[in-house]
Amino acid sequence: MFSPISLEAAVVVLGLFLLLFEAFSTEPDKSRIAWLGIAGLGTILVLSFFTQAPENAAWMRFYTADPLAMFFKRFALVTTIIVLVMALEYRGVVTKFIFGVSPQSGLGEFFALPVLTCAGLMWMASAIDFTLIFVSVELVTISFYVLVAYMRRNTASLEAGVKYLILGALSTGFFVYGITWIFGVTGETNLDLIAAAIPHLEGSKVPLLFGFMLVIVALGFKIAAAPFQLWVPDVYQGAPTPITAFLSVGSKAAGFVVLIRLVNTFMDVPLVREKVVGTMFVLAALTLIYGNLAALPQTNLKRLLAYSSIAHAGYLLVAAASFGATGARDAIAFYLAGYLLMTLLTFLVMIVVANRTGGDDIAHFAGLSRRSPWLAFAMLVAMASLAGIPFTVGFFGKFFVFVAAYKQHQYLLIGIGLITVASGFYYYLKVVRAMYWDAPADDSRIHAQPFTNAIIATLVALIFVLGVYPRPIFDLLKVKPLMTKFALR
Amino acid sequence: MLKDYLPVLIQALVALGFAVGTLVVSVLLGRSARRNAMKDSAYECGMIPQGEAQPRFSVKFYLVAMLFILFDVEVVFMYPWALNYRDSLREHGPMIFWSMFSFIGIVTVGYVYALKKGVLEWKN
Amino acid sequence: MNILNLLIFVPLLAATAILLGTSARRTALGASVLNLILSLIALSQYQPGGDRFQFLSVATILPDLDLKYFVGADGLSLLMILLTAIVTLAAVWVSPRVERMEKQFYACVLFIAAGAMGAFASLDLFFFYAFHELALIPTFLMIGIWGSGDRHAAAWKITIYLAVGSFILLVGLIGLYLAVPETQRTFDLTKLMLPGMVKNISASAHWIYPILLTGFGILISLFPFHTWAPDAYASAPAPVAMLHAGVLKKFGLYGLLRVALPLMPDAAREWSDLLLVLLVGNVLYVGLATIAQKRLDLMLGYSSVMHMGYIFLGIASFNFIGLSGAALLMFAHGLAIAALFALTGQLRDRTGTVRFSELGGLAKPAPVLGFLFALAAFASIGLPGFANFSSEILVLFGAFGAQVSKLVPVSGNPIAPPPTFTHFQVATVCALWGVVISAVYMLRGFRAVFLGELDKRWAKIPDLARTIRWPVILLLATLMLGGFIPRFFLKFVQPTFEIFAPR
Repeated sequence: MFSPISLEAAVVVLGLFLLLFEAFSTEPDKSRIAWLGIAGLGTILVLSFFTQAPENAAWMRFYTADPLAMFFKRFALVTTIIVLVMALEYRGVVTKFIFGVSPQSGLGEFFALPVLTCAGLMWMASAIDFTLIFVSVELVTISFYVLVAYMRRNTASLEAGVKYLILGALSTGFFVYGITWIFGVTGETNLDLIAAAIPHLEGSKVPLLFGFMLVIVALGFKIAAAPFQLWVPDVYQGAPTPITAFLSVGSKAAGFVVLIRLVNTFMDVPLVREKVVGTMFVLAALTLIYGNLAALPQTNLKRLLAYSSIAHAGYLLVAAASFGATGARDAIAFYLAGYLLMTLLTFLVMIVVANRTGGDDIAHFAGLSRRSPWLAFAMLVAMASLAGIPFTVGFFGKFFVFVAAYKQHQYLLIGIGLITVASGFYYYLKVVRAMYWDAPADDSRIHAQPFTNAIIATLVALIFVLGVYPRPIFDLLKVKPLMTKFALR
Repeated sequence: MLKDYLPVLIQALVALGFAVGTLVVSVLLGRSARRNAMKDSAYECGMIPQGEAQPRFSVKFYLVAMLFILFDVEVVFMYPWALNYRDSLREHGPMIFWSMFSFIGIVTVGYVYALKKGVLEWKN
Repeated sequence: MNILNLLIFVPLLAATAILLGTSARRTALGASVLNLILSLIALSQYQPGGDRFQFLSVATILPDLDLKYFVGADGLSLLMILLTAIVTLAAVWVSPRVERMEKQFYACVLFIAAGAMGAFASLDLFFFYAFHELALIPTFLMIGIWGSGDRHAAAWKITIYLAVGSFILLVGLIGLYLAVPETQRTFDLTKLMLPGMVKNISASAHWIYPILLTGFGILISLFPFHTWAPDAYASAPAPVAMLHAGVLKKFGLYGLLRVALPLMPDAAREWSDLLLVLLVGNVLYVGLATIAQKRLDLMLGYSSVMHMGYIFLGIASFNFIGLSGAALLMFAHGLAIAALFALTGQLRDRTGTVRFSELGGLAKPAPVLGFLFALAAFASIGLPGFANFSSEILVLFGAFGAQVSKLVPVSGNPIAPPPTFTHFQVATVCALWGVVISAVYMLRGFRAVFLGELDKRWAKIPDLARTIRWPVILLLATLMLGGFIPRFFLKFVQPTFEIFAPR
């Protein structure tokens, strides 16, 4: 049995080891670094099932290992592993846009940095103190600054990097400022101590809510919620595709864990609660409408997925606006788990196909059903799941979200959801249309690496299995809690 | 409670007032002088300016500067750590030692990595 | 192994096997023959006097929500399952040689069939809904890839329309789930049908019912939500049109009979006036639009929308006779429209056009095709001897004698009925004109295609192949069985309605 904090320590050590390995080894083929990373993270994922939190440790003031945290730690590990698999498929494109002394020089960090990002994501999952939240968010964000701009001879990637840097720095500013206000009012940085302090506050609640709103603005950047979503389309389109996938799954999920804990903190006081729910409502409505309607006319798949990522943040925020209903928190976790499967599946297939067809416009997928029935089917499953068709995990995700919204009488959000689900059908099926209706540009077959194929098959199978039998996810969220007095209630 | 923030507000107002004030004064006073080509040229200690205003520096300068800042900040962290070291050791055990140890360890790995990548080599 | 599970999983497994590489047509045909045999076995094993639902099979999915995979069947579901099995077999059988992506074609047909089977067999609201949605993507693919005419626009239209409709339906179903106190919430239909639960639901039924009616209505093409249907059926390849018009559309009606009426009887009576107005729209407005059509496929599409009006009339009447008639008419209409679309598909393969102005006199080169088409058209009009006739008679009698809800005394003294016609009787009289309308368009359509002068282009077209005759004959023979001995089918469905509908 390990202490849960050793998981992050192991990931950091693995990341540092990979960096040193890349610096010292003379091996020209850098893919070995990715394989080492995949193997290491896989081992840590297995070890995460053998952790046991000590009864009382000093770090428990900052860090919790409740089921939610453990769930999202594993979530981060799985995401990073699949991102590394994608990075392996994508390395040809990356080497085209960085050149050094040897063909693959400068590629090693592309495989090592996601591991360090993963450590940040895992800390975010566990953070229950604003200091740790801030530090882990920054670890994630700064790694992403590098990764987004990684293809440094590609202007799109550089543009994405600059935009992400500027808006990321801006959101960091909001974050710190919000934290200082909350600290100034309550005198605490620990979320539970803040929750305990709120009922005893004298005078106006406005400064507290002001701080809360600032933090929400910062988190809004991370989870791509409207009106803080402006960076998303350009950054998603410009960044290397595996990094786009990482941003849209890992970064968003970690942001939502923090959001869950934060909203939970402010839920218990009636006066504050109303305002918090109201904020979530506005965010959810705006994000749903913007993400779905702006996705309609897109012709580039990566950009489409950027808007779809905003749209899915909207559905998640519907659940956040329904906090208080039993199952709202689990609905978010389940939705994110499904979102991981279907989004990573989409990106994986997209990378394989784009390698051969030379681009990631929807038109590049024309006639895929004849060039590779298997990849077309996998993409069909991913799109069906993203659209929310029954017997895929995406449907259960939306189902739980709307049940939670119903319970909290968020009828307006359900009404908006009605429109946005329909528009979702349209833009996801656009991809299906290209794959199945249109004629291919040429008839050559498209194949993926065997290991990539295995991952694709696993993701497809999981989408179906969890779409019929979602219990395993809920069981993971319910594992005998390792609660401490500071952990989430 | 908000009253406590009054000094902050005053400071902000003073800062804003100073910036606006100097601008306004310079416009008011500067209007009397006429502009000419000589006046508009860059001032360089009485020499005639030459070369471009934004020459290209080798990226190595930046790398060295960044490394310097990194290690500088590290020392800043170590100062309060050293001051609290004895008390914390007595109360909480050796955790304080190991936390700084791991911190320096990570920074050292970064340093070794930078060395190995040739950041401090000036030849090429 | 439970027979209902087999009925659902045989097509699913066959579709998977086809995608993995077995011979497509042979596997599909084998699976649908097996399914027809299985559904006949189920029908023969069903005991009308026994438990309300038989062949039960349960697997828990989420105990917290009381959500489970739960199948079971009463006579109504079995009749629908039989309809699905027959139409699926016919649809697979009459499929022409598929030139491209044959595997996907048959897999899609089987997925649609499996979804329909599952929806009719489910006793859990969640799976009832989910199984129906299984048809959505295959339909989109099939119309888009193998359809004719303006197929792309039609595929988008049907997909978006049905997606919106089913989402509205989902909202209604979740509302139903949440309408009862927290400790008793369940997706289990058999539990929801208990009298105590119905009473719980009745508090919020007055707004859940219209949501369900809208959702189901869009799926059924209730006027004015019908515009997707004719275009989609006209562009779809014959098997899709057969399965959709014949089977999937019945899902919405089945949903009304299975979920909406038994769980919310009072709300159903409360909203019956609105339904009456809309269904008259279905019969008269769409009926007149049908007469104006200039193409056989569009005419059939509109006619299938129009006939929904009669079934709605039976449902709105909410009495034993009307509901029995509606159930039998669902079955009969499914068979008749499937036969018509199958023959139209054959016709299109021969001539390449279905415009009335270009066709004519085809009964000469293709007498069998013409004869079978005539029989199917007669069935669709509702001539005596076909199940459509007996069921329409039941519906009209049931509706004419229906009680107006406001006159049913809740408590206190009964109120004397007014001397004038009730709304039901007015609607019935309006709907009667539909019989005339459908005779007009069907006979005109038949004359334009098969009688009159023969164009030289069509002088050499081959008649219906010997093997293709059998599925059509199967459909028509079943219709005649229902026409001469309606009791044969009615005895299955009547126990279902005895429970909640007044005699």
